[in-house]
Amino acid sequence: MLDGVLIGLATAFSVQNIIFVIMGCLVGTFIGMLPGLGPMSAIALMIPIAASLEPSAGIILMAAVYYGAIFGGSTSSILINAPGVASTVATSFDGYPLAKSGKAGKALAIAAYSSFSGGVIAALMLLVAAPYLASVSLSFQSTDYFALMVLGLSAVAAFAGKGQVLKALLMTVLGLMLSTVGTDQTVGVPRFTLGMIDLVDGISFLLLVMATFALSEALMAIIKKVDESKRDAERKAASELGSMAVSKDEVKEMVPVIGRSSVLGFFIGVLPGAGATIASFLAYGTEQRIAGAEKGKLFGKGSVRGLSAPETANNAAATGSFVPLLTLGIPGSGTTAIMLGALIGYGIQPGPRLYIDQPDVFWSVIVSMWLGNIVLLILNLPLIPYIARVLAIPSRFLLPLILFFSLIGVYFVSFNTFDIQLMVLFGLAATVLRLLSFSLAPMILGFILGGMMEENLRRALLINNDSWSFLWERGLTLTILLIAAACLFVPMLTPIFAKMRQKTKGQPSAD
Amino acid sequence: MFLSKDRLGGLLLLIFCLIYAWQSQNIRLLPFQLNSAFHARTMPEMLAALGIGLSILIMIFPSNKERFTLSGLNWPLGLAFLVLMSIYGFTVRPFGFLLSTSLFLMVGFAMLGERNILKLLLVAVPLVVAFWALMNYGLSVFIEPLPFFLRGDGNA
Repeated sequence: MLDGVLIGLATAFSVQNIIFVIMGCLVGTFIGMLPGLGPMSAIALMIPIAASLEPSAGIILMAAVYYGAIFGGSTSSILINAPGVASTVATSFDGYPLAKSGKAGKALAIAAYSSFSGGVIAALMLLVAAPYLASVSLSFQSTDYFALMVLGLSAVAAFAGKGQVLKALLMTVLGLMLSTVGTDQTVGVPRFTLGMIDLVDGISFLLLVMATFALSEALMAIIKKVDESKRDAERKAASELGSMAVSKDEVKEMVPVIGRSSVLGFFIGVLPGAGATIASFLAYGTEQRIAGAEKGKLFGKGSVRGLSAPETANNAAATGSFVPLLTLGIPGSGTTAIMLGALIGYGIQPGPRLYIDQPDVFWSVIVSMWLGNIVLLILNLPLIPYIARVLAIPSRFLLPLILFFSLIGVYFVSFNTFDIQLMVLFGLAATVLRLLSFSLAPMILGFILGGMMEENLRRALLINNDSWSFLWERGLTLTILLIAAACLFVPMLTPIFAKMRQKTKGQPSAD
Repeated sequence: MFLSKDRLGGLLLLIFCLIYAWQSQNIRLLPFQLNSAFHARTMPEMLAALGIGLSILIMIFPSNKERFTLSGLNWPLGLAFLVLMSIYGFTVRPFGFLLSTSLFLMVGFAMLGERNILKLLLVAVPLVVAFWALMNYGLSVFIEPLPFFLRGDGNA
């Protein structure tokens, strides 16, 4: 492991990569701060630039953008109560009341210290967990990989939220369907190309991500009428931050919260599909319960614990979500799915072999996480009063610019104007689905995993002489599939059982 | 409420899945694949069946019974932007990056309420020129800057 860390340090600490980390953190903070644009859009917008770099530099840049965007999302949650992403919603519960009471600077500092600690502790846990899991997963066969992908997709649906399981599953299937467009990988037969040469290579991953996130976010902002008086109030809040000093008592209050939330966030992040949102809410809820009656009452009114817990947990979970990506090649969240797509674009196949075949990529990502967190703390925090001015850009200028960067980002990779038309079509479809409250992240995950899933299933059947018996004959495959089934059916059946219990309680006993 | 958000979404996706299922039957199978357990149609057929089943389930058991409405949304403006983006796609090559992008941005700003022509020009043009220079000289990504009538090579 020490050798690996040294390789990572040597790669991440080159002048070029340090510049990319600083640049990525700044750009990520900038984009993440814009209401509506989250880490997924931020990373998607950076892919065309990252594609022109060597793999480790490109991945370091994207990882830095990721942390930067989470940090930026927290800033807009605290200053203007407009979380850029779901994972910073819990941050606004106590961050915004603090900002309203004139302590915006303090709230931002607490958030930054908590994010930093959560990120650093989780990166340390990743350092230990990733190589171990990678060595275990070396014994995995294609049947297990197929089962793991089924687990990843079902977990995403299972964690989608109350009443959302069926919709998330359908969106996953939609993503899998889109992944089948293009030439079949084995026999070279065109599928769903509708006779168009432009579709023979399939749908570009970047195009789909840009259209479904960046483009549709901007379109949603365009069709929802903006209240300019509210925007003026936001600009005023962003310009008056107050002191950023944190008192000794507040630090004492934060330390145990950071410890607990880091561990909780990391483990939630490792679970496929759970991600930073669930981690932040769970940490918030846990701390509220632990705080006791008196301190618990402060939650939602500007509690230091209430701000520190979700901020620590969402950063720890963001780091934790790299574990399945780096060791199994299976993304645990929409954001890591985009990073997986970018890695595949480099010709790198994440998974247990990455640790052995490309240790520079594997270790430099881990080391760059520390570097990224340090940059966020020492560079971005003092710069926040200036970066926050991005919130003052009028939306009439900002939105067409987002559309332009999305379109040109895709066009600069393919130089095919057909892609722009296809983006418009996908942008329209994504906006309609958003208006109908269908989540798009499971679709991206399905799209990314689709090709690999089909390939592993095909290989598994080939090894097993065209017999599907591998699904129940190999113990590991069966166990993973049973966990996947449990992930799907337990949340679906829980309300039914709860209703049955209620009915039984309501009826008089038969005795 | 029949056309709730979930039901409408389920219906639209059901139509998509049915078209997908129909198109999956047009995938050509090679003679040696006909009797194999896994061929080019296997995955699409499984997905089509799953997709159809799930969309029907969503329509039968909708979790969100809120009715879909376009009121309060400026959807004509959204559609206008989609048309603008499509036109940009058609013009970026013949009219060159600088002209087509500057026009795209200026029209976009104007559509969202900016009426000061000087501001339109001062925001769009320098930004487009700077972006083109960054891509061309900084990242070595070349894109034709000039419109076809100024190129002098006769290529549109």
